[in-house]
Order: sequence, then C-alpha cells, then structure tokens
Amino acid sequence: MTGMGDRILGLFLLVLAVAYGWVAQQWPEPFGGAEGVGPETFPTMLAIVLVVGSLYLMIKPDADAKWPVGRPALELVISIIVLVVYALLLEPLGFIISTTLAVGALSWRMGAPVVGSFVTGLISAVVVFGLFNYGLSLSLPNGLLGGF
Amino acid sequence: METIGFLMEGFAVALTPYNLMFALFGAFVGTLIGCLPGLGPANGVAILIPLAFTLGLPPETAMILLTSVYAGAMYGGRISSILLNIPGDEPAMMTCLDGYPMAQKGRAADALAISAIASFAGSLIGTIGLIMLAPVLARFALTFGPAEYFALFLLAFATLGGITGKNPMKTVIAATLGIMISTVGIDISTGTQRYTGGVLELYEGIDFILAIVGLFAISELLFFVEARMGKGRSKVEMGKLTLTFKEVVSTLPTQLRGGLLGFIAGVLPGAGASLGSFISYTLEKSVLGKKGRFGEGDIRGVVAPEAGNNGAASGALVPMLTLGVPGSGTTAVLLAMLISLNITPGPLMFTQNADIVWGVIAALLIGNVLLLVLNIPMIGVFVRLLSVPPMYLLPIVTMVAFVGIYSISHSTFDLYFMIVFGVGGFILRKLDIPMVPIILGLLLGPEMEKNLGHALILSDGDWTTLWSSPLAIGLWLVAGLGLVLPTVFGPLLRRRMRNAIKEGPVSD
Repeated sequence: MTGMGDRILGLFLLVLAVAYGWVAQQWPEPFGGAEGVGPETFPTMLAIVLVVGSLYLMIKPDADAKWPVGRPALELVISIIVLVVYALLLEPLGFIISTTLAVGALSWRMGAPVVGSFVTGLISAVVVFGLFNYGLSLSLPNGLLGGF
Repeated sequence: METIGFLMEGFAVALTPYNLMFALFGAFVGTLIGCLPGLGPANGVAILIPLAFTLGLPPETAMILLTSVYAGAMYGGRISSILLNIPGDEPAMMTCLDGYPMAQKGRAADALAISAIASFAGSLIGTIGLIMLAPVLARFALTFGPAEYFALFLLAFATLGGITGKNPMKTVIAATLGIMISTVGIDISTGTQRYTGGVLELYEGIDFILAIVGLFAISELLFFVEARMGKGRSKVEMGKLTLTFKEVVSTLPTQLRGGLLGFIAGVLPGAGASLGSFISYTLEKSVLGKKGRFGEGDIRGVVAPEAGNNGAASGALVPMLTLGVPGSGTTAVLLAMLISLNITPGPLMFTQNADIVWGVIAALLIGNVLLLVLNIPMIGVFVRLLSVPPMYLLPIVTMVAFVGIYSISHSTFDLYFMIVFGVGGFILRKLDIPMVPIILGLLLGPEMEKNLGHALILSDGDWTTLWSSPLAIGLWLVAGLGLVLPTVFGPLLRRRMRNAIKEGPVSD
C-alpha cells in the first residue's frame, strides 16, 4: 500500500494530539477562576488542529519517501549511537579525547580513511579547545587530561 | 528625513571597531557557510547563535554578526552553483543555469566576479528598500491590537510553505507541532505546569536554540550519512579573470530589475528568495528574448538570479524587523536570536531598540561592501575551501554545534535533547514535513497565546473579537489564500521551475 509513511505518521500524531489535548483538560483551574483564556485553552485548540491534520494525513497520504534499508540504515544507527556516546563521554573523558573519537568515528563512517579521520578529529578538537578555553575563556571539560 | 538621522546613528553603532570586526568575521563565515553544500544559511546561522550567546556579545553586536552571516551566505551560495553545478543553498539554484555553463567555457572567474557584483547590487537595492519601507510599516503596525497580531501570526504560518510549497496540510501540522513544543513548561500567565512531567529541566520550557540546532545541524548530518555523499564532487577550474568594465556596465539594467523584483518577493509573505531569483531570471529571459543566450552561459543569466536572491534576502528582513514575523527559515533563526537577547520583536523595536535596528541595517550596508571586497580578490580562498569533502566537514560542524549547545548551560541533558530533535527532524524531513514552520511555531507560540489571551480579556471572552476589525478580517483572508493558493498554483510553478532547470544543457 502506498503512503504508509504518512499513514503511520498520521496515526502517531493522532495519538499525540489526543493525549496532548486530554492532559490539558486535567489541569486544576487556576487560582482566581478562569478568565477568558485558561492554561488549557490554547493547547486544546492546538490539539483540535492536530487531530484534523493527522486525520487528513491518514485519508490522503502523499507517496512514500525512500527509506534507508540495509547498509545506509545501519550507518545511520551507528552515527546516532556515536552522537549519544559523545554526549555521554564528553564530561568523563574530557573534551579533547571525546571529540577526537566522535569526529574521527563520524568521518570514518562517512568514508574517510581511518588515520585521516582521527587526525582530523584530534586537530579540530585541539583547535576548538584552545579557542574556547584560552581565546574566549569559556571552559570546556578537561576530563582525563585535567591534571596537565 | 528622520530616517537619515537614524541611519547615521546606525552607522555610528556599526562602525565601531569592535562591531566592524564582527561584521567582517560574519561576512567571511557567512560566505563559507553559503558555499559549502550541506550547510545552508539557516543552518549556519543556527549553529552560530549559541556561540554569539555564550560569548556574551552585546545585543547589537550579536545581531550585526548574524546579519552579516546571513548576507554572506547569500553571496556564498553562488560559488558552488557556478563551480560544482550544485547550489550551496536553495535560492542559488537558478544561478546554476548559466553560471555552470559559463564556468565550463573557461569563464568561471568571470562568472564569480560578475555574480559578486550582482549580489552587491541586489543587496544594495534591497537594503535601500528596507530603509524606506521598514519605518513606514512599523508605524502602521503600531495600530495592530492583539486580535490583529493573532491573525498575523496565523498568516505567517499559512504563507510559510510558500507559493511553491507541496502539501499545505503538512505546513499546518509542522507549525502546530512547533507551537505544541513551545507550550511545554510553566504557563506565564497562570503558573500552571504544562507537560513537564515533573522533570526539572523542562520547567523553563524547551530552549528553542537547541531545538533549532538539532533540527537543522544534526538532521543534515544524518542526511549526508544516509546519502553517502561524503566524497564531494569534482569542480571546474577557475581560469583567468577576463571580465571587462563594458561587460559589467551592460548588465546594469539587469541588476536593477533583478534587485527590485527580488526585494518585492522578499517582502511578500510566502514568496522568499527562491522565488525572487526565479522571477528575476524568467523576467530577464523574456525581456531580452532572442538577444540573450540563456542556459548557455549568458552573463545576464548569472546576474539576474543573484541580484534577485540578494534583494530578496534584504526584503525578507522587512517583516521580521517591523512585525516580528519572519517569512523565511533564516530570518526565523535571526528572530530566535532577538528573542533570546530578550528583545521583543515588532514595531516597538524601532522606538525602544532603535540602536539595534538601525545598527543592523547599517551593518547590512557595510557588510555588503565588505563582502564585495572579500569576494573578488579572496575568491580563491573560498574556492579552495570548497574542496574540503563533507566527510570531514560535517562531523566538525556537528562538533561545533555540540560545543555551542554545551557551552550555554554546561549540561549534557541539553545535548541528548538536541540529538532527539535531530533524529526527529530527520524522520519528519523524510516525510516531507518542513522544518521552518516547526521553528517558527516554537518562536511565535508563546506570543500567539499571549495575544489570544489579551484579545479575549479585552473583549470579555467574546471570541468574535478575533475577526471583528476590517484589518483582522483582511489578515484572515490572506492567511486563507496562503493555504489555498499553493494547492492551485504550486504544482504549476514547481513544474515550471523544474523545467527551467532541465532545459539547461548540463543536466547530467
């Protein structure tokens, strides 16, 4: 069936809209009574608009985009993991080490030679670290290299 | 004539060595951002926002920096159009048509030079238009009440997809999602916690800067990873500069027409720079008729779209500065900077923050001169940088985005959030949900709710107040048209634009 992408998105948005609208109705009335617009008025309007939009998507979906499968999909997942791990390790390992690894890994997965990738990573990490810590005096985490 | 006085004050702000330095830096970085494929102007400005923020720049300097980047990106877009036949950004698409054939004929250096001059002319015309129109519009906008503003915001969303937009419903969905995200946090007027789930980090709402950087920068990286375009493309050799003065003079009428048309397209909601360059190219083609050799490297075919898109870039600043309602992605990002500097955009800015507004406008003029100077002798530098393949470039850009976001709050929580936005943005872009309305929703959502509230309080809860004044009705009508027209004219215009590009002899 064509338009599966839009239909699934539509379904997801419908659930989101209903949940969003329902949550809005649960808030206690603000102190001093409701005057014109309460905290729930605007979200309720948004929920209604999104319900209409999501129904439209399900009824009249556009043709499907080409979704990555196989190798490109794997590369995508790897990239996202690299980004998450980068954020995770930024403070414990320090900026220079984690950046070298992250930029290196990303470049390598995008097709650069291994050595070139990690050298690029190291150089960019050192330059940015120097620029931020000494040039702009904004401190980036030192991490393992903190003693030096 | 008070405008001249203000403008002089603006120059006084923009010409201080400190601000001039940032304008130069911005112009350089902007050109770079514009010319590198995969790093559009909105994207580039977005990445620089956190940096401008953490540097603690004074508001006028921050705005001057970002405006110069914006102007520079418009210049830079043409470089890769001419040398690689890939537009560096969307508005530079039309420049490929004659720019690349010209480069293939060994006149790359000429094409680059004349397009820099055309960009300058377009931008100058656009900025003069901005200077004349903005104060008038700002004065008019002072008569807007909350109901009119509410309708104006709707109009902005409705026309954002642009006349060439594909599916207006998707624009609506995108805008709604953006506004929904903006409602997370403590409600300003009542103090109710909304959608925070008790997570402390969410009490103040979701910082739109990290959302913007995630949606643009991270999703762009993912697109490149998926397409495996890391290697870059081959480019044409530069060749020697043989442009004559006579040739430059012969294109002057083209520059004027292009700049003016571009400016108009930029000011109008829903048109924007892409359409500006398209219109000026087509007009030039029909004006010159058989006298031109369009598509085969006619010099005027390079001048017209470049004058057009730079004129449009300045034109797009008009609604952003006077009404606080941007009409394009990049001006939306500029608006984000204004809001995070605690400046309320809108007509009052012209009286309360006159130094910023006029400083920015003066900086635009100065930036253009700088850009012209940068772009003719230093073109070689940019051309060399163009050969940095995306596989090295994009990871570094991503890293800079990480650093920027991290340095705002020193919390890794924000980084995870940014990644979530990036992945979400990637999926939504895959599904043809546009990013710009999401961002505009994030930015304008709180203002919209505030104006709705004010309007209803003034009218004692009577909802008809939203469409009771003639002005408000007019705005509602235009908003309606903005949604309906693209379904009628959109396919037609898009086909024309595509045909124009296909006609080019180099569609390989």
